[in-house]
Amino acid sequence: MVCENCNKSVATVHLTEIINKKKKELHLCEECAREKGVTLKAHFFAKETQPSADAPAIEKAAGKSKIAAEDVLSGLSCSVCGLTFAEFRASGRLGCANDYNAFKKGLSPLLEKIHGHTEHRGKVPHQVGERLERQKKLMSLRQSLNRAIQREEYEKAAEIRDQIYELEERA
Amino acid sequence: MDLAGKSQGEFFESFRSSLGEWLTGRGPDADIVMSTRVRLARNIVEYPFLTKATPRQRTELERLLRERIHKAAIAEVDDGGAKEGDGPSSLSGPGPGHIPSPGPTASPSPGPGPMPKIAGDGARTANGGIVYANLQETSPIDRLCLVERHLISRDLASGEGDRGVALGRREIVSIMVNEEDHLRIQVLRSGFQADEAHKQIDRIDDRLEGKLNYAFSPQFGYLTACPTNCGTGLRVSVMLHLPALVMTKQIEKVFQAVSKINLAVRGFYGEGTQASGDFYQISNQMTLGRSEMDIIDQVREVVPQIIKYERSIRETLLAENRKTIEDRVWRAFGMLRSARTITSDETMDLLSAVRMGVNLGILEDIAIRTVNELFILTQPAHLQKIEGRRLDTPERDVTRATFIRQRLENLN
Repeated sequence: MVCENCNKSVATVHLTEIINKKKKELHLCEECAREKGVTLKAHFFAKETQPSADAPAIEKAAGKSKIAAEDVLSGLSCSVCGLTFAEFRASGRLGCANDYNAFKKGLSPLLEKIHGHTEHRGKVPHQVGERLERQKKLMSLRQSLNRAIQREEYEKAAEIRDQIYELEERA
Repeated sequence: MDLAGKSQGEFFESFRSSLGEWLTGRGPDADIVMSTRVRLARNIVEYPFLTKATPRQRTELERLLRERIHKAAIAEVDDGGAKEGDGPSSLSGPGPGHIPSPGPTASPSPGPGPMPKIAGDGARTANGGIVYANLQETSPIDRLCLVERHLISRDLASGEGDRGVALGRREIVSIMVNEEDHLRIQVLRSGFQADEAHKQIDRIDDRLEGKLNYAFSPQFGYLTACPTNCGTGLRVSVMLHLPALVMTKQIEKVFQAVSKINLAVRGFYGEGTQASGDFYQISNQMTLGRSEMDIIDQVREVVPQIIKYERSIRETLLAENRKTIEDRVWRAFGMLRSARTITSDETMDLLSAVRMGVNLGILEDIAIRTVNELFILTQPAHLQKIEGRRLDTPERDVTRATFIRQRLENLN
């Protein structure tokens, strides 16, 4: 999405304002946003402290925090492929594997809705499986090492240390 | 594996007459279950998903994936397939369902003799009958033929840029390269064989995994371009032929029951296509948070109930309205044998009645395979392939009618 002000740079600041029940969206690049004196924080603050008079206060606060949260999500972008969460929402397609990390906050509720779950069960690639297995083993070895040192069982500690070295080397 | 221009042409030439093993009608419950398809969506970590890939990256990906698929030495018929014995679903030997070899090519033929086994890296027989086509260099008609044969998606056919497909000569295995995901692996079997198809695709996946770094996260599983596919990346689709349920308007009940347990119902050509010829594809929707076996088990629980329902209605119809059913089947057969011009829709409807007639023993002289194959060979791209030229719609209707008459006349 291109900045609505300069029409050149990619819009990364997405503002949603609701004034008199009318939704207004503004998409700006960072530079234009700065020029216009809009910072996200200032904007949210302004919205929270200037309630309009046409709806009960609680309802408004809830609605606004939701808008604020969505703005934060829309502003998210992946450092690897550059996709923004707003772009993902428009297309429904992710740009790279890292997006699952970058957009975790926004994706989790979506995955819950689609699959009814957010945690994988099932096949694990052998390489990954081995790595996870190794990590688990390393963790338990380090705990045993600590215990051995606390009990002053130094011979045993040395043995465990060698095992840890060996595992780490293999990685 | 990479087919040079000439032999690739020969492979596509075979589309005029030969068809995939899944149409032989030899699988379990094949009277009602036309096919079982399983697919896995996979991406590799080194490249962005295709939505974000530059044309250059797309070209590199195609080259890399093609080479790795080759190195993975995937055999279309492997040891697991051989264990199925000599039953109707057996893939061993050429048998009546054997697809004629498309001609003298450099690749080993899956014909008579010992079955190709998974061979080690670099082995000459490593192909196991797998051929590769770069779709950018393939004609639009050939690409559409692949769609009509259920070997690639419509999106891959109409897409742009470097992309391809690795195909087993028996058309059981197909691996799409640069579709929505870097890889879409498919196994397509005759009849209801969810378990067997999954075992086969799992072995193929293992071999590919040995050559590729899959994008995977312990939390989200296999990472896919669309979040609807992440997790296992597994989709199981069972294509059911349900003319009796349609005739008696019971099909809606099936839809309702199926959608309640989050399975999707789609038409003959999958997502976004209309039901035609009384074919319905039932597939899992959810891929995250349930294991491959959970997904298979759910399908294995539901499909037999639908099969039973369809069979019981067929029996009732025969018991109570035998003459009406026979009349319907014979009229359909008569129309197909006599028509001089016929649309695709009408063909699908009539073939559906004939298919049911063959399975009920009303029509005895037609092999189920002949009927199954007609569903594919009468599709627009295949007719144009058979004729060897572009045809407009009225021309296609005439060609279709002629082709069907010839196929059905040569029976006796």
